[in-house]
Amino acid sequence: MSTSYTRRGFLGLTSAAALGAGLSACTGGGASSGGGATQAASNNLRLFTYEGDETIGLLKAQVKKFDEQNGTTTTVDSLPGSGAAVYPDKLRTELLGGKGPDVWRIWGGQIGAPFAKAKQALDLSPYYSKYGWDAKINTQAIGGMTFEGMKAGVPFVSLGIGAWYNKSLFAKAGVSAPPKTYAELEAINDKLVAVGVTPAGLGGKYGWDIMRLFEYLLEHTAGPELHDKLLTGAESWDRPEVVEAFSLFKKWQDKKWLPQGALGLDPADIEPAYVQGKTAYTITGPWTEAAAILSAKKSSSAFGNFELPTDKTPARHSGFVEGYMINAKSGNADKAAALIDFIVQPATQKALQVTASTVKGAEPDPKTLPLAAEWAQKYGSNPFYTIQDQAFPKKQADQYFSVQSDLLQGKVAPDAAAKKMQEIVSAWAKS
Amino acid sequence: MATTATLVKPKRGGRWSPWLFAIPALAVYVGFLVYPALSSLWFSLTNWDGLSATYKFVGLDNYFKLPQDPVVVEAVRNNLIWTVVTIAVPTVIGLLLAIALNGKVHGKPILRLIFYTPAVLPLVSIASIWGWLYNPQYGAINSFLRMIGLDGLAQAWLGQDSTALWAVMVPAIWLRTGFPMLLYLAALQGIPNELYEAATVDGATKWQQFWHVTMPSLRPAHYIVLALSLIDSFKVFDMIYAMTYGGPGTSTQVMGTWMYFNVFQYYQAGYGTAIAVVITLVAIAVGIPYVRSQTREAS
Repeated sequence: MSTSYTRRGFLGLTSAAALGAGLSACTGGGASSGGGATQAASNNLRLFTYEGDETIGLLKAQVKKFDEQNGTTTTVDSLPGSGAAVYPDKLRTELLGGKGPDVWRIWGGQIGAPFAKAKQALDLSPYYSKYGWDAKINTQAIGGMTFEGMKAGVPFVSLGIGAWYNKSLFAKAGVSAPPKTYAELEAINDKLVAVGVTPAGLGGKYGWDIMRLFEYLLEHTAGPELHDKLLTGAESWDRPEVVEAFSLFKKWQDKKWLPQGALGLDPADIEPAYVQGKTAYTITGPWTEAAAILSAKKSSSAFGNFELPTDKTPARHSGFVEGYMINAKSGNADKAAALIDFIVQPATQKALQVTASTVKGAEPDPKTLPLAAEWAQKYGSNPFYTIQDQAFPKKQADQYFSVQSDLLQGKVAPDAAAKKMQEIVSAWAKS
Repeated sequence: MATTATLVKPKRGGRWSPWLFAIPALAVYVGFLVYPALSSLWFSLTNWDGLSATYKFVGLDNYFKLPQDPVVVEAVRNNLIWTVVTIAVPTVIGLLLAIALNGKVHGKPILRLIFYTPAVLPLVSIASIWGWLYNPQYGAINSFLRMIGLDGLAQAWLGQDSTALWAVMVPAIWLRTGFPMLLYLAALQGIPNELYEAATVDGATKWQQFWHVTMPSLRPAHYIVLALSLIDSFKVFDMIYAMTYGGPGTSTQVMGTWMYFNVFQYYQAGYGTAIAVVITLVAIAVGIPYVRSQTREAS
């Protein structure tokens, strides 16, 4: 009897424990809530980034140079190609595990904000004073990494979003020059469709790619001042300008200016389609020259870029910043700050081939990245509005993407979409 | 019975000896499973954001919010559809394949390999492959439909609410058919031939033999297949995450992905953990028959 009881008991216990594993796995076993105590000081640093294969070697070479000058040993870890949908999760998990990096790269706006709010990122004000970053780095970019008055990051890149197009497909449609007005852009789209070319290569998986079209349309219909107020919840979204923007958004799909089934397409697949000659253009940033054009062994001269015409003054484009933060629990904060200062030196920025550096004197090299240099020269000094997936926290951004999705599928009308957006933004603004 | 009792009855330490031997394994379970699970249960009663050092105890608030969350309602509905379809279809196909392979078929080992291969492929690869197949403009599925003149059936499979979940279920069925097939094949080979011979002598048709000999003999295999498939189906995460990311909108969200979004993306770890607790309770509830069947067999 006792043998039977014991075996059953153990079997039942282990089975129950195996089921319990589901719960522990679901939550990542996150018993730690603070990420542990401050790490011990040492000469070992760790930098976490999301550099792609085309630039990680350059970064490692520069970091090695820094190590040689400072007697440090810096490990560079990268999670390439994951985008803002995955990388922050990995970083967060590392920080909670108490083994977070000393320095990490991150986007500004609402993607970087939670790390500052949770005090995982160090207040860098003392280092701004020590290294004079305020004078060396673009002021607007610093604002993108300042959260509730705390300078939590050092932006080194400020990227503008524009249209990047395939010249031969434009020529095929009889288009000789980029559009100067929104009406011209629509006319170009019609010409492209007429010759069997899909105009704008954008994908709706994740939401943020196709969002770039809507935010442009909103800038076109609402104008700079109202657009900025909408993003902060200072003005209601339930208004004619927003309804018009949603109507235009739907129009782009209905007139086949977007790929068929755009909502289900992965940006990683559809964005480079303009390089492959499958779409005429995409809406992206200067990194596309290295990531899509040069990596496909194509000549930059076969492609071009232009700022999407808004018909408003000042002309603006979507933009965002990326920079470095320091772990508040790092025992090597001084050395980490020295590493960041080394990275934001003009010479280092040039060596890293940063296409849109925030550092004065580190403009892109026209010989290696002619299109990125052209963009910087023509539009780099134009003001930009905060890209919408950084303007909103992730939850509200996803709700906003759902509205876009419902609209494009015809489940809601433009005026209902505007009302729904107002509900989302006002709930966030009140929280 | 007397012999068994004599063999296993401990001479020293009495009834505690088995527990002493189990301590190493139990320590691992407690340290790596039970403790994190209890911690998670605790966090589901807090408003922890998943990043800050501080949080507040909010009682059952997170659980009360669940039924008011429209995405949770949508996710539960999707979970139920997913569970029914991805259990029923692979099980039936797996059984049919097993019966076919159990007969006199040429190239049996190769066919077994072909049918089981999807189960060992990395899920991300499967998601990528099917993502390309489903591409509305250049994908093989729509190209084939257009080639045979069924242009009207060509769809944006992953790009519309009406088809996205079903489109993700197809590769899930494809990869999950091999597992029941193997289990049923092993069980079929364990059915004594004499039963069929006796049934034949009694004049039973093949169909009658299937229902009155094969199916009852497969009962233990049915238990295992259904219980494991049920638990597996309710925990679905990877295919949805990789193929649609829960979209378009939230139309393919399931409880697993919605838990992930809340814990890891929205900085609502307390609420997300409450979802995880619910998933686990459901998994335990559906797993009880399996556990009971196993303990019954052991006894």
